[in-house]
Amino acid sequence: MIRRAVLSCCLSVFVIITASQAADTVSVKLPTYTKTQLKNGMTLLLMEQHEVPIVSFNIIVKTGSVADAQGKEGLASLTAELLRKGTRTRTSEQVSSDLDFIGAEFAMNANTDFTTGSAEFLKKDLRQGMDLLVDIILNPVFPQDEVTKLIQQRIDGIKSAKDRADSVIGRYCAAYLYGKRPYARPVAGGDVSFPAITRADVQRFYETNYVPANTIFAASGDFITAEMRALIEQHFNGWPAKNPPAIRIDAAPPVQGKRLLLVDKPDSTQTYFYIGNVGINRTNPDRVGIAVVNTVFGGRFTSRLNTALRVDSGLTYGARSVFDQRKVAGPFLITTYTKNSSTEQAMDMALGVLSALHQSGITETELASTKEYMKGQFPPSIETTDQLASVIARLEFYGLDESDINSYFGKIDAVTIADTRRIVKQYFPLDNLVFVLIGKASEIQPLVKKYAPVIDTKVITQPGF
Amino acid sequence: MRIVVQEDHSIPSIAMYIFYRIGSRNERPGTTGLSHFFEHMMFNGARKYGPKQFDQVMEASGGSNNAYTNNDVTAYQDWFPRSALETIFDLEADRIQNLSFDEKMIESERQVVASERRTSVDNNNLGILEEQLNAAAFTAHPYQWPVIGWMVDIENWTMQDLKRHFDIGYSPANATMVVVGDVTLDEIVKLAQKYIEPIASRGLPPTVTTREPDQLGERRVTVHKFAQLPILMMGYHVPQSADPDYYPLQVLKTVLFEGQSSRMYQRLIDKDQLAISVRGDYSFALDPTLLTITVRPKAGIQPDAAERATYEELDRVKSALVTDRELEKAKNILTADFYRRMKTIDGKAGALGNYEVFFGDYRKLFTAADNYNKVTKEDLQRVAKKYLTEKNRTVAALIPEEEAK
Repeated sequence: MIRRAVLSCCLSVFVIITASQAADTVSVKLPTYTKTQLKNGMTLLLMEQHEVPIVSFNIIVKTGSVADAQGKEGLASLTAELLRKGTRTRTSEQVSSDLDFIGAEFAMNANTDFTTGSAEFLKKDLRQGMDLLVDIILNPVFPQDEVTKLIQQRIDGIKSAKDRADSVIGRYCAAYLYGKRPYARPVAGGDVSFPAITRADVQRFYETNYVPANTIFAASGDFITAEMRALIEQHFNGWPAKNPPAIRIDAAPPVQGKRLLLVDKPDSTQTYFYIGNVGINRTNPDRVGIAVVNTVFGGRFTSRLNTALRVDSGLTYGARSVFDQRKVAGPFLITTYTKNSSTEQAMDMALGVLSALHQSGITETELASTKEYMKGQFPPSIETTDQLASVIARLEFYGLDESDINSYFGKIDAVTIADTRRIVKQYFPLDNLVFVLIGKASEIQPLVKKYAPVIDTKVITQPGF
Repeated sequence: MRIVVQEDHSIPSIAMYIFYRIGSRNERPGTTGLSHFFEHMMFNGARKYGPKQFDQVMEASGGSNNAYTNNDVTAYQDWFPRSALETIFDLEADRIQNLSFDEKMIESERQVVASERRTSVDNNNLGILEEQLNAAAFTAHPYQWPVIGWMVDIENWTMQDLKRHFDIGYSPANATMVVVGDVTLDEIVKLAQKYIEPIASRGLPPTVTTREPDQLGERRVTVHKFAQLPILMMGYHVPQSADPDYYPLQVLKTVLFEGQSSRMYQRLIDKDQLAISVRGDYSFALDPTLLTITVRPKAGIQPDAAERATYEELDRVKSALVTDRELEKAKNILTADFYRRMKTIDGKAGALGNYEVFFGDYRKLFTAADNYNKVTKEDLQRVAKKYLTEKNRTVAALIPEEEAK
């Protein structure tokens, strides 16, 4: 017997995607939004979404950890986190108390390419929330004791992270893959660089980079565009115009040949490993085709990597691959882990799956399945106002527009087997690979020599990455 | 099977959750972790859709899935476009009805779960410590063993154990399905009548009668382990979700731990600078459970200094009422969190299912905000005095060793 119940909607809903009735012609369309520029140069993106009484903001300052000076790694990230630690009129504790009092969600972080803040308020708290947000962005004072405190916490945070291989392997990999290039630097900073960072560095970083012409301010939610624009202008018109910093990121060429880094974590019962090379950027014209091939290769549960290493052999809990797309070419990585004694078998198998991709390509069945999968999984990624604000801010940062989303399904559908063959050859490295392993060196060191002519070693308790 | 449907046409997508009321609390020593292992086996082939086909068919239809097991339930989650709706019903019905147990798949999946345990527990100091905390805090009740199971049990489950688990846990009557998204009630009813209703009912899991006896004094566990930083966990016995004290305890937890203006953050991280993080956890539970506090002391700080400061903060909420502003702030945080969880079809499906399972009725989700709002300052003081006591406490400490063994 079926007992059933239906709910009256407890929250109303928003319609953001148009889907025609026939399943194979479903298309995706980003809701419309306006783009304007304030007189001081700040870019403003506004998207009305009235169905839930929430307003989401997403702010991008177009400077990330790539602007950190050598030896001062972590400065962009530290500056972002310090913004809320005291303003001209509020102590750190007052900022937190005021944010918490309206149940606000606020976070400000740096990545390699930019610094981003997100904030979300119930509509009834909008004016209060906006007042706080503006205070945090325009009036931070970076108290010395807060700077010292946060640096000390970050140093300990790295120690704590190093107690767990999978929380730091990405940082070791970035450093090893990118060498002296900007993407090598640890975004959140290093135990080596932190003691060198001073309050003056933070203040200077803020003054140079947090300027209107370097800022994108996106909002999505329950507001009237003209009113929101007026509110933002009222707060930000007084932010003095200033030349934005010149930021150039040198793209790294792929590593030639093979290199391997083994980081010794002597208590490890499992080897964590990344295999990859320099991949693609966010605006690569082939990026949808690359995503299709990568989904087949290592981007979903039934991918070839996960099928081989998990489903068929039980070597691991999970194996995957990713193209991290950034301003300039980010890494392409195969990532997995396995118990110490099966390290060689798992690495050989991952390389075998990569080699098979080159030899025999992907099948029509895989291609068709992947297209359905990618389209089917996309809508929930632009479901909420915070997701939408983030999407439009990032499109703007990368110099893209709504056509990137609106043409997405069409581009997926257009990928042919011939395209995938070219893409495999062009974008999936085979002979040039970087390996990064964290594991128990006394057990696995003898067997890693066969993977690369160059072997480097580190110990996890040593400072740095 | 009880089915809860919420129509939400915001995106052409659907979230479906199926909660089976069976988890590690239904297990026995020797086969700990069986519920979680069984969760994995539910993806490894049934009669119509053989090994690998569940995932292959789902992904080719545009869907993806996941599943989780905790102390109390095993939950299966499917996220898919509207066009895949009937296929998903067919897939789910097939495995509820006709799961197959292939010896080779069992052995392979056993290794997968062992790898999962290595990554979530054995190579994760927090995982090790939490396991030790629960093992010490519970002496009679099944919450004492880890959901993923002891490694030696993972190595020793048999086909027989799996079959018995299927028989006791996977009767349709032991499950609740929640469907949220671009559907109509009528079409779900029709599909359920076609695919789910014909499935024969089997037995239900034996009632878990064990109740943890009152704790008679503080218990302490120490883990010596290669590490750079220590970790402290304290667990206090607190009631199950359906108990009236659940809401005051959640509000108290919010005052103490949520946000950078919370009492614990202010004291341990901001003012005294004893720790790099502090958090409190009190999850849904069918039986009396633990409210846990996790503190990561800073390098060079004696863990007992961080521990003492934590207790002083707990004493403060016992000896004096919290302020009106703190109470209102906590309620605002909880209300905002509630709305945020309900923004997505996935969040709604999870919340409806959890209220149905842990509070006995999905409708109680809609009175949650009222229940938070009814909590008074006096309630907070009362529950702090009743539960957050030395006698009721188990402490687990991870003490770093420089050499790995």
